[in-house]
Amino acid sequence: MDGFDPVDRYERMVEMRTFEELVGEGVADGSIHGEMHLAIGQEATAAGLEPLVREGDAVVSTHRPHLHALIARVDPVRMLGEIFERSDGLCGGKGGHMHLFDPSVDFMCTGIVGASAPIALGYALQRKRARPGAVAWAFLGDGAVNHGTFAEALNLAALWSLPVVFVVEDNGYAISVPTTQATAGAIHRRGEPFGIPGWAVDGVDARAVYEAGRAATDRVRSGDGPALVVATAYRFRGHYEGDIDHYRPRRQHEETMRERDPIARARASLIAGGVGADELMRREEEARTRVRGWVDRARAMPWPDPADALTGVFAEAEA
Amino acid sequence: MTTATVEAGAAGHGAEPRGKRTEDGQATYLVAIAEALWEEMERDDRVYLLGEDIGVYGGAFKVTEGFLDRFGPDRVIDTPIAEETIVGMAVGSAMEGFRPVAEFQYADFMSSGFDEITTVLARYHYRSGVPLPVVLRGPSGGGVRASSFHSINPEPWFAHAGGIKVICPAFPADAKGLLKSAIRDDNPVMFLEHKWIYRRIKEPVPDDPDALEPISVARVRREGRDVSVITYGAMVHKALEAAEELERAGISAEVVDLRTVYPLDEETVLRSIEKTSRALVVSESYRFVGIGAEVAATIAEKAFEHLDAPVARLSPPNLPVPFSPTLEDAFLPQVADIRTAIERLSAW
Ligand SMILES: Cc1ncc(C[n+]2csc(CCOP(=O)(O)OP(=O)(O)O)c2C)c(N)n1
Repeated sequence: MDGFDPVDRYERMVEMRTFEELVGEGVADGSIHGEMHLAIGQEATAAGLEPLVREGDAVVSTHRPHLHALIARVDPVRMLGEIFERSDGLCGGKGGHMHLFDPSVDFMCTGIVGASAPIALGYALQRKRARPGAVAWAFLGDGAVNHGTFAEALNLAALWSLPVVFVVEDNGYAISVPTTQATAGAIHRRGEPFGIPGWAVDGVDARAVYEAGRAATDRVRSGDGPALVVATAYRFRGHYEGDIDHYRPRRQHEETMRERDPIARARASLIAGGVGADELMRREEEARTRVRGWVDRARAMPWPDPADALTGVFAEAEA
Repeated sequence: MTTATVEAGAAGHGAEPRGKRTEDGQATYLVAIAEALWEEMERDDRVYLLGEDIGVYGGAFKVTEGFLDRFGPDRVIDTPIAEETIVGMAVGSAMEGFRPVAEFQYADFMSSGFDEITTVLARYHYRSGVPLPVVLRGPSGGGVRASSFHSINPEPWFAHAGGIKVICPAFPADAKGLLKSAIRDDNPVMFLEHKWIYRRIKEPVPDDPDALEPISVARVRREGRDVSVITYGAMVHKALEAAEELERAGISAEVVDLRTVYPLDEETVLRSIEKTSRALVVSESYRFVGIGAEVAATIAEKAFEHLDAPVARLSPPNLPVPFSPTLEDAFLPQVADIRTAIERLSAW
């Protein structure tokens, strides 16, 4: 699928949100440990870009990786298995939610802020040489653009004309620090000195994201070098599950969530466009049931064998 | 969906406010560290803080909660996420007479500033003769289900750098007195706060703002006759627990808390070996080329004639801290492992 089907995208966003909510429940009920970063509120960016992600692309994500993994076509059950600390998870329970790897679809993520873009360059280098038309997607948060690695990656990607799509998700904050308090200038113009075009887009509007993403990927896939898309959305949950989140005044937070909810917005626009509420409810129910099924399967997976803690540091020697 | 409450001291930042001293003067490690910073900032206005989310947020673990209100944004600086620049700025301003204390959100991210730490901070005084009173602090250590990017014990890397003192306190009063000494020291100091200890360990802590603990002085935490356990950080608490259990079985273990891992207090370690003739070195940092290896080598070199058994080591292998609890527990030394190792040594 390469086009934008609004009803289908709506269903996918409901699926994404349900995914994040059920993971959040896993944290709340003590099934998942450690720091959990959910992307509720940012669904339209992932859902808008998904039709543009092709087989053969690579996706490099961040500490907030679930939706990017879904659009990279990572098996959701094995991803959930990893998140729920199980042996049949993507990494055998060794990694957890921000250390997901799926080499079968060239997906990876990193918990180090600013580390995703340079890695995407490596995936892109291979694609430039051996897979014309394929691209590497580098996802970053607004906080990551102030790490030196972003400037280094922009420069090299432009210099070597690498097929990279940089996608910056500006969700308003890097933990407690508002984007404006840490970032000089407009992020989508960061590529300009290197000759990299940038698109600033409303990340709450899946179609707008799709349109900007299509313009960007048209350029990158045709071999003209990298592109930068900056999608602005709002992080609904705290930075991590359990964050006291006292840095966002409550009333303003509630209001912003009402105004910047990609799912509510898409639903209203579909209804206004004549799509029946029954149809949407059916879609929502299907999406939720599907995700519940994935989670049930993940929660039924066995725990890792303690002996596995000490295996797998090095690759087996080649024959 | 309800907001999860995160276990006190667990990964996932300090979800709760920092808390206060109890009426009888007891403070958690977290509170003791905050007191040290606060008092040093009151005492000397050249001291300033910089780091990620240390202002309004009060730091990931809430060490600097309330500091912005008291000391203002010029002395409590929220930086962008740019670790090399944080260290570089600290170095430059220290050369101009400031006494910066940089917070790393997790000690794991010190590696994002590695070059400025190891090739700049560690080596400038040697060539320039200019004092570099820079403190880098951050939460280290595992056991809190934080997976491999939020659990590291980086002390061997920095002990190895040569011009950086490396402190890893295990108790609140030590943490307070040592952090104050670190801030008053004219040299770079790496101050590693074990996050497992933050909210778990509480004890009476001095009020006197000039009560300091000396850097590079170890401390015998528990007297014993049969075996010396030499350790630091969270493993001190595990070792003490193992020693208590063994006391009932008739084995008397001495526990030496190194407190500073570089430069090492060899004397206290060697004195303990002279007494017990058996040494178990426990570290949560890696075994290979680790702090434990250094301590063991020192004992073998300098106390050979006192030893009744080979020096034993207990520390995890050099591999990433795994995530799932079954795996992390298998990876980190546990109380039972320490107990077994002591028993084996005492049977020699
Ligand atoms: C190098 C590094 N420094 C600090 C951190 C701690 N940290 C984790 S997420 C985060 C904020 C990231 O903000 P942003 O890039 O905007 O992504 P968001 O969390 O908003 O999705 C920080 C500081 C880290 N993971 N890596």
